[in-house]
Amino acid sequence: MTTLITQTIAKVVVPLCVFLSISLLLTGHDQPGGGFIGGVMFATAISLLYISFGLDDSKKFFNPDWSLYFGFGLLLATAAGIGSIIAGYNLLRTDYTYLQLPLFGEVELSSAIVFDIGVYLVVIGGLLFIFKKMGED
Amino acid sequence: MNLPIAVVLAIFLPFFFAILVPYLERIVKHNIGWFSALIGLISFLLLVLISPEIIRGEVIHYSVSWIPSVGVDFGIYVDGLSLLIAFLASGIGFLIMAYSTEYMSHREDLARYYQYILLFMGSMIGMVFASNTIQLFIFWELTSITSFLLIGFWRNKPQSVYGAKKSLILTAGFGGLALLTGILLLRAITGTFDIPTILADESLKVLIKEHDLFLGTLFLIFIGAAAKSAQGPFYIWLPNAMEAPTPVSAFLHSATMVKAGLYLIGRVHPIFSGTEAWLIMVAGTGLVTMVVAGFLALRQTDIKGLLAYSTISQLAYIMAMYGYTTYQDPSLGVVAATYHLLNHATFKATLFLIVGIVAHEAATRDIKKLGGLRKEMPITFVIATIGALSMAGVPPLNGFLSKEMFYEASVDIGASLGQPYNLLIPMIAVIAGVLTFAYSIKIIDGIFLGKRNDEHLPKKVHDPSIIMLGPAAILAFIVVLFGIFPSIPMSFIIEPAVSGIILEDISIYASLWHGFTVELLMTVVTFGLGIIIYKKYDAIANWQDEFNKKHPTFSLNYYYDEIFGNATENAKKISLKFQVGPIRAYLFPIVLIAILSVLFPIIILSVELTPITFNFETPPYELIVFILIITTAVMAAIIPSYLPAVIAVSALGFLIGIVFIFLLAPDLAITQILAETLTTIIFVLVISKVPQTFKEKIPRNILYRDILISLTVASTVFLIMLYATQGIIEPFESVSHYFLEKSILLTGGHNIVNVILVDFRSLDTLGEIVVIFLAALGVYNLLHSRGERK
Repeated sequence: MTTLITQTIAKVVVPLCVFLSISLLLTGHDQPGGGFIGGVMFATAISLLYISFGLDDSKKFFNPDWSLYFGFGLLLATAAGIGSIIAGYNLLRTDYTYLQLPLFGEVELSSAIVFDIGVYLVVIGGLLFIFKKMGED
Repeated sequence: MNLPIAVVLAIFLPFFFAILVPYLERIVKHNIGWFSALIGLISFLLLVLISPEIIRGEVIHYSVSWIPSVGVDFGIYVDGLSLLIAFLASGIGFLIMAYSTEYMSHREDLARYYQYILLFMGSMIGMVFASNTIQLFIFWELTSITSFLLIGFWRNKPQSVYGAKKSLILTAGFGGLALLTGILLLRAITGTFDIPTILADESLKVLIKEHDLFLGTLFLIFIGAAAKSAQGPFYIWLPNAMEAPTPVSAFLHSATMVKAGLYLIGRVHPIFSGTEAWLIMVAGTGLVTMVVAGFLALRQTDIKGLLAYSTISQLAYIMAMYGYTTYQDPSLGVVAATYHLLNHATFKATLFLIVGIVAHEAATRDIKKLGGLRKEMPITFVIATIGALSMAGVPPLNGFLSKEMFYEASVDIGASLGQPYNLLIPMIAVIAGVLTFAYSIKIIDGIFLGKRNDEHLPKKVHDPSIIMLGPAAILAFIVVLFGIFPSIPMSFIIEPAVSGIILEDISIYASLWHGFTVELLMTVVTFGLGIIIYKKYDAIANWQDEFNKKHPTFSLNYYYDEIFGNATENAKKISLKFQVGPIRAYLFPIVLIAILSVLFPIIILSVELTPITFNFETPPYELIVFILIITTAVMAAIIPSYLPAVIAVSALGFLIGIVFIFLLAPDLAITQILAETLTTIIFVLVISKVPQTFKEKIPRNILYRDILISLTVASTVFLIMLYATQGIIEPFESVSHYFLEKSILLTGGHNIVNVILVDFRSLDTLGEIVVIFLAALGVYNLLHSRGERK
């Protein structure tokens, strides 16, 4: 499938997908989205990259160790949970506040985002790790 | 110093230092033993610091709340009994570590060795001072685990590994879990995990004894204690535990860890004693074990093996005496038992240290290869003689006194039980004493007396340095001291300990000479018979060997090996019946159970099924999607080649995503479509690797069966959905109202799906990402291990 057409499309679509995935992650608390969906989006985008350029070729310019992602993600999610205990609340309890940002107006900021980023990283790492291993096989 | 702090320090100092040991070892090299011994000494001194309070009859009780929701506190409860064991753990621990500095070769992994010993010491002290049964259980299991690590210290010796596993299975596994269940039952009866509360409350004790669960609770806790102290059928782990380095055997498997079971019996004595069941279980097990183990000891040629059986037999004395109290003035048996517990720790540790010295110098522990070493090792000989004679019960050593008291208690219990026990129990006691006498003499005679066995012994054998002799000499000195002046241990150690067991203050009078009594007569008989048995020693040992050869199945070890030794083989046999291979075989029971679990409640609850009204008023564009879903589903099932079938399945998935959009569930729709994309890609990747492009030919009968199964599943699910959506099966109240109300209020988020994921049910999500994590690792392992096999 490493044709010029897919490669050209991938060059345009993959960055867009990555942006969309990040936006899904960040706005997930209020609008459709969240860490899980964002993560799957990201994984799909990268798998498109792998397929259109071939695993071996794409490795030359882009070869992250996905196991680090899910390892770190799980660590972050757990740390977010334990953070609540350190702050004196129950495990994984979250708090939120409203921020006034220029251009965006009032934005809700929840501490759950830390946990959600952890989920995001685990999903990305887990899926792509499996994907890449199977591809290599 | 604040006394509770001293106790907490005595518990946690060894733990803390155990963490530091590997780092310190890099600096001080093989001198690490002395630092570790110092910690043992400090713990001992801290306990000395608190002992005046305990001797005065006070107890130290202090606790902080740990898991308040289930009533588990972290507390310390120090009384005479726990202090006695803690003294043994820290005091003998100190001597053992000092001894080990010379015994253990500098080439060994010393950091690991001292680390384990310190961990054990901390666990043991923590166990006896625990004021809460859950806390006691945790430290109890820690002592079993550290014992496991120490028995298996020489990891590449198969016997060490075997012995370590055996001890872990029997003490931590069998005994520990029984104890835990017993603790939970006790909590179910009394409603508390707190030991002092149960001990102090008379009405609770009455409640326990009259409760239906009494027998079960007692039995389970007793199993825990018996497994730990190698009593009854559980004795088989202790002889194999002798694979540990000898100082470890001296410390854990004669002086301290095996006393944990007796400690537990003493601890629960106020709760369970005074009942028939207590007498039968505790005293009965003790009486049987002491004779059997004593008899089996005669056969041992390895001195450590001999000492192991002797330990089992001696612990059984103590066990039996704790059991006597049902029909006896408690102070009689309990005093004797506690005194013997202390004495046994001293003389048995002495003997183990001597065996260590002999093995170190003469390079063998086989009693047949030793002999005639008295001239070359005079000091060792003297110390060994003191230890062995004390075990044999020869005056004026401490073993003589506690043996006399054991006879006295046995005669007394026999008299109160009447015919035929008034003869039977004293007879059993004397037989055990005779056997003890015989193997004690064997130790002295076999190693030091007789002709020198030049064939097997090195040319020059000599006494070791003061570092190895010192600890043994100190213990031997205590043996003599406690024998000649029994009032010293009695008033400072035994009285507080006994009052901790029977919960009354007592004062004991003991002296070496107490007139011409029945006990004295029994002792004389014991010595006489002992000498006769000793003459026949080899004949008895040979007879046992012959018997074992003829009846190999007449042995507990045989059954242990059958069950646990072949555990992997047995497990393979069983699991091969379930793990057959093809996925279809797994799918069938899963689907069957799923259908039954739905249909059974409906039939059993005899839900009245009202007629269904079908409603086809759907907009035409939705109808088109549904028709497409059905079409793709049928295509996926009937298309004969793989790739188009996979594409049909994924088309089906995308269409379901569209249905989610109709149902106004954008989160679900996005997830569905994305996940479908990914699975399609992965499917295609895998399919492209499969060589044949056409599905295998399925036999007709299997095909019909599969169609039947599929139709059943589909129609069941269809019916359920139909009833559920029409509210014919009474619906539960929807949970979504709660989330709709609370979502913005509590979390500030408007997207309930995400709010549930990261706020309300975040613990579930954490669990799910752990699953992803493990799945990724699992896939890696699968692919990796397959690569290796190629």
